[in-house]
Amino acid sequence: MSETFTIHYFATASQYTSKNTESLPAPLKLSALFDQLEQRYPGIVEKVLSTCGVSLNGEYVDVEEDGEVVIHAGGEVAVIPPVSSG
Amino acid sequence: MASSEPSSQPTQVPAHLDPKTYPRTHHNPTQNIHITLTYEPLNANTYLSQTSSPSAGANILFLGTTRDTFEGRSVSQLSYTAYPPLALKTLAGIAEAAMKTHRLEGVSIAHRLGTVPIGEASIAIAVSAGHRGAAWRAGEEVLEACKEKAEIWKREEFVDGGMEWRANADRDAEGRSLGNERV
Repeated sequence: MSETFTIHYFATASQYTSKNTESLPAPLKLSALFDQLEQRYPGIVEKVLSTCGVSLNGEYVDVEEDGEVVIHAGGEVAVIPPVSSG
Repeated sequence: MASSEPSSQPTQVPAHLDPKTYPRTHHNPTQNIHITLTYEPLNANTYLSQTSSPSAGANILFLGTTRDTFEGRSVSQLSYTAYPPLALKTLAGIAEAAMKTHRLEGVSIAHRLGTVPIGEASIAIAVSAGHRGAAWRAGEEVLEACKEKAEIWKREEFVDGGMEWRANADRDAEGRSLGNERV
């Protein structure tokens, strides 16, 4: 079985993907994450991801500045759209 | 990956969307900080009693309750989801910052998740301080910081059909549009 990491989607990101969570092939560099998602969900980068934060294993990351960081098998990524608590 | 779920449910519900994994809490006894994420109704007295103490002369409670309209459209139902690995950390950070800035005796922040019936509390904030000035200021500051940063999302379902995910950055504290709403 090939190795995977978990990615969670919230709010507008879960609406766009019609998923709350899924497994994607690992390892993957952070710099390749948005391309990977764009291939699966055409238009998602412009319509959703451009206003979203990203976390890796519970810490915020910058997919460009931290682009060389590798998402390993078993890792947990979350796509964080603009929040609306309260 | 093996799954015991029937094939009609191809995706498992992640733990953070499973109400059985709640309440999730963070408690710092040294600073008297209490953070709660729960699918149960919020009981205001619980949070007030967490922060009050003999040294606190001012105790402020804020309850945010769900409203039945958005820009004139009737809202039939609201629900919230959270990502606790980030939300608990963010809320704890907000509470710690307020403790330090305002010399508080305690802070409690609780957010309800899942469906919240109209008129019921979705967020409760209790702050206690020696005197009222600090408590009032801290209460507002904590609420605004929660709305800006906590990894929690509100979904509104409308009576006339349709649903929308809300973004707090689109509105100020008076509910006015800030003109950056995305279509």
